[in-house]
Amino acid sequence: MFEIEIFKKKGFKNSHGEHVLSDIFELAIKDITKVEYSPLYLIDGDINLSEAKMTAVELLSDKITESYAVRRYSDLNSKTVNLQMLSASVIEVCYKKGVTDTVVESVMKAVKDLGIDKDIKVRAARKYYLFGTVSKTVLNIIATKLLANTLVQEYKIK
Amino acid sequence: MKSTTNCKIIEILNLSDEQLAELSRKNVLSLSLAEMKAVLDYFKKLKRNPTDVEMETIAQTWSEHCKHKTLTGIIEYTEEEESGKKTKRTYNNLLKETIFKATVELNKEWCLSVFEDNAGVIDFDSKNGVAFKVETHNHPSALEPYGGSATGIGGVIRDILGVGLGAKPLANTDVFCFGDPNTKASKVPEGMHHPKRIAKGVVSGVRDYGNRMGIPTVNGAVCFDEGYMANPLVYCGTMGIIPKNKIEKKVNSGDLILVAGGRTGRDGIHGATFSSVELDTESDVSAVQIGNPIVEKKVLDTMLKARDLNLYRAVTDCGAGGLSSAIGELGEKTGAVVYLDKVPLKYDGLYPWEIWISEAQERMVFAVPPENKKKIVEIFKKENVEAVFVGEFTNDGKLILVYNGDVVTSMDMSFLHGGIPKPTRPAVCKTKEEKVQKPVKMNSSEILEVLKASLADLNVCSKEWIIRQYDHEVQGQTIIKPLQGNSIEVSGPGDAAVVLPYTVVKGTKKGVVLSNGLNPQYGKINTYKMAASAIEESLRNAVAVGADIEKISVLDNFCWGDPNKPEILGSLVRAANACYDMSKAFGVPFISGKDSLNNEYSIGGKKYSIPPALLISAMGVIENVANTVTMPLKNKGNKIFVLGITRNEFGGSVLAKIKNIKTGVVPDVYPEESKVLMKKIYQAINKNFVESCHDCSEGGIAIAISEMAFASGKGVNINIDAVEVEIKNPLTVAEILFSESNGRFIVEVKPENEATFMEILNGSVFAEVGYVSDETKIVFESKKTKIMVQEQLEVLLNAWQNTIDW
Amino acid sequence: MKKIKVLILRTAGTNCDYETQAAFELCGAVVDCVHINTLIERKDKIFEYDILAFPGGFSYGDDIASGKILANEVKNKLGDEVREIALSGKPIIGICNGFQVLVKMGLLPDPKLFEQISTLSYNDSDKFECRWVYLKTEKKVKNESSCIWTKNLPDIISLPIAHGEGKFIPGDKKLLDILNKNNQIVFRYSAKDGSDPGYPLAPNGSVEQIAGICNTKGNVFGLMPHPERYVFALQHPAKEGFDGKYGCGRIIFQNAVNFVKWS
Repeated sequence: MFEIEIFKKKGFKNSHGEHVLSDIFELAIKDITKVEYSPLYLIDGDINLSEAKMTAVELLSDKITESYAVRRYSDLNSKTVNLQMLSASVIEVCYKKGVTDTVVESVMKAVKDLGIDKDIKVRAARKYYLFGTVSKTVLNIIATKLLANTLVQEYKIK
Repeated sequence: MKSTTNCKIIEILNLSDEQLAELSRKNVLSLSLAEMKAVLDYFKKLKRNPTDVEMETIAQTWSEHCKHKTLTGIIEYTEEEESGKKTKRTYNNLLKETIFKATVELNKEWCLSVFEDNAGVIDFDSKNGVAFKVETHNHPSALEPYGGSATGIGGVIRDILGVGLGAKPLANTDVFCFGDPNTKASKVPEGMHHPKRIAKGVVSGVRDYGNRMGIPTVNGAVCFDEGYMANPLVYCGTMGIIPKNKIEKKVNSGDLILVAGGRTGRDGIHGATFSSVELDTESDVSAVQIGNPIVEKKVLDTMLKARDLNLYRAVTDCGAGGLSSAIGELGEKTGAVVYLDKVPLKYDGLYPWEIWISEAQERMVFAVPPENKKKIVEIFKKENVEAVFVGEFTNDGKLILVYNGDVVTSMDMSFLHGGIPKPTRPAVCKTKEEKVQKPVKMNSSEILEVLKASLADLNVCSKEWIIRQYDHEVQGQTIIKPLQGNSIEVSGPGDAAVVLPYTVVKGTKKGVVLSNGLNPQYGKINTYKMAASAIEESLRNAVAVGADIEKISVLDNFCWGDPNKPEILGSLVRAANACYDMSKAFGVPFISGKDSLNNEYSIGGKKYSIPPALLISAMGVIENVANTVTMPLKNKGNKIFVLGITRNEFGGSVLAKIKNIKTGVVPDVYPEESKVLMKKIYQAINKNFVESCHDCSEGGIAIAISEMAFASGKGVNINIDAVEVEIKNPLTVAEILFSESNGRFIVEVKPENEATFMEILNGSVFAEVGYVSDETKIVFESKKTKIMVQEQLEVLLNAWQNTIDW
Repeated sequence: MKKIKVLILRTAGTNCDYETQAAFELCGAVVDCVHINTLIERKDKIFEYDILAFPGGFSYGDDIASGKILANEVKNKLGDEVREIALSGKPIIGICNGFQVLVKMGLLPDPKLFEQISTLSYNDSDKFECRWVYLKTEKKVKNESSCIWTKNLPDIISLPIAHGEGKFIPGDKKLLDILNKNNQIVFRYSAKDGSDPGYPLAPNGSVEQIAGICNTKGNVFGLMPHPERYVFALQHPAKEGFDGKYGCGRIIFQNAVNFVKWS
């Protein structure tokens, strides 16, 4: 299983992150100074590393504005790729099992179009890096009041 | 029939009344005791217990959402005046005796299909009809605003795909009622979303679904009121065009049942019954669904091809109640056998009853003659739409469901569709005399403050933030747009939208006008006047752009509280009566409608009901779209007229809210005046004697004229003393400016057309009140009272635009 | 006389096909809207057409990124054919989602290279917006561009836009210089008088207000605004048009049809 994370390259506007930041302000939470947003894809199945990389390059990231990280799921805890993100709190949001996620269906189709004709399972998540010193309670508020609807989505705080 | 691992026999034959009621409650069947007893009687005759599939089928078919049993049930209505005088009336079927009755009596030959299909259809031209349907999706939107509203719009689009043999959607409408977005977070009940989060989520849901479907959202309205905090209202409408020879469905015995589109999952199980159950903080999770617009778009693309090749005889959408409702409806007259194991599933593990009632989105059901079997599947397959035959229509009038070779349901269609006992409900309405408020006296600067506050009021202010997120121009046919200006930059609020379906009907000049009327503030005081006002407002809006009232039809959407409370049901009866009266008086037929009842929610054990809301959506046909007008002023030197009488009517008005006035008369409707006036306006616009026209509603003359001015960047000079007012209850200057009397329009006319215009209007009440100036400010002046209100357009525009800028 | 044949490529989520078809038909062309599955089955069919159009919409829901999935699909399954057509000089247009597809498969700005060297990214406002904008045409700025689609247009035109990802970003400064030098930037967002606009007339934050570009040869053209939504004066918010009847969008389609007719 691979986890593919997409980052905005330096110098390009992370407009969604800025939007989320202003929404956080509206919740009367003033301690977050910056938000970075990264789409996240989990791909399970018998694909190999080069196929996962190809998917990241050709499909999931934009060649001009984005970079990516491909991680084997087993490595996830040992390697942290993006050092500049270390100081941030992370909230990951994805749909609960059984809830329609249109992105997932599209990714499965598009991976086949790349010529990777293998049975895969995909999950898509939204990863938010929040910079600033805030408590877990506040992160929970941001997650539940803004980023996730726990009726259909689940979230993780890291 | 026997219990299997997949299908349980439900023991009911020996249950007591209490046990029956408990069974209904425990299994979320939402069936009343009388209904449970009818079920019991039926199965006593069959000498067996029902299966879980059968119980669920009955619950779905008899749900409020599918059967509208309150409005079609027996209502014993009492109207009680303050004097104690009581008038009683029994309705055996409220809908048939009010709304539908008006349509029957009006008997318009251009009504092609009314109250029988998924949408109402009227005549467009010699070859085509236009269909319109408006639905609500309230409870799901409260819990999951994004997914709830998206499936709301997705569902009403499928209604249009499922009318006749399928119409091509041309436009969407959306009307929302939300709680106050400025509510303090601490005031939001536990487990509920903040009103602003709901509003944003709902708008995003409609945006993403509507835009991806390629259907422009062209008309709408938003009402904010704290009464909708935990129970927002989300109305979604779709209009489509359909060839006249495709309006009729016919199901023959032997036709195959084809399910096309999305797969079936556990989505929305109990959605139909759920939508009739009060909201509480522990609502059922699986009732909420997320849609996939691209799947629906593929179905739309392919099914219209199959339609034009005459490959099927009937179609309907899977909405509330899923396959159960869809196949139940199509097979009502014939009977049907369905092999549930053939239905394509999203994932394993669904029980037969879940497959049968799942409300998974984006599915359509077709009746296909066997000889077209191959051809139709090929069309779907070519564009990657899954389409599977799951059974056939029979001739024995029975509904037979089979799962892995076991019969899990065997019931008579006649029982399913006709066996529901009619409930009798008491309804009471205590009428109150409305009193004129103490005269509202204000000096010039106070009037200006109220003007700015009114423009900034949530219910008046610009909804541009919402409108721009919708692609309101896709298909290229939106001739009169929701935001209007004389250049592409400034945007004022249009009254109605006009769609020219030139890509479907080549060379046509005809257009479809869409508008709406809604004012729950009036309903808090008087639901009769609320309904009457909503109807008139929808008509005024359409007439203001150039529609002919002789060719307008309307739709009703009731959103009300708990009908088991006599006063709540009584207020609904009153509104329904207004619908009948106005429909008859204006000569405007209802062609379709929908109700959503039980819009109540409990917080901490206490129950709250929403302010009743009746949305009236109007659709009309315009002969030549070139003869339409927008609302921004056009040229300096042009004359400005106020048409209609200004009365002392402030009940539920914006002024009453701003000034906290508790008394006041709710605006009434005078159809005999209004209808004549509307016909004359149509004549004047159609002959190009009108430069701009704007409906006068929330906030009154002052707001309407200000909007026309800042939308164009052109100033006005208005003489308030010239406005025609009623003599019975004299008005102060402020009252003239802010009264919300119905039946009024603001019209701009070129000096050279003035005489002809006045000739056309002869016999109606109207007054020339001023002119378009060459300054960039508005001036309202009353020489009599030495009041002069003036302000720069930019200041007013900012007041109007800055409220909702999220 | 020879009928000009236009191919409009459809797929799941295409939704501006009807009006694009109507626009070409208005200019005298014969139009087929063909689903990509059909075309992949019979690739040679694509050469029967004189003009190729990638219409607006939300191909595959614009999941992942706008136009990305369709761009990959076209490139992997019809890449050789589409490139050949582009290099042969036949007119190709990509509107809105179609522009995103052309850019992301690399047919623009350089079909010879056929690699993605620029992109269309999220609007600075982070939201989908539908509004009318002014566009400054290239000749207003410099000498007339070689673009066959944009000839005979006034200096400033107005068209509607409707997109969430329309911010044009060239891969590097060098590319931007080349685009400028070759007059490939045929449309820029502008104020009414041609001056630099602020938001919202600059709707998405595009580099140098770029709204539409073409290849050096001028036959491949992509733009975010929707010319097919302004072929009649009636479609304009203030009902403005040429000769009181037509919208300037029509000129764009007519240019391509005339180009084929006279070449």
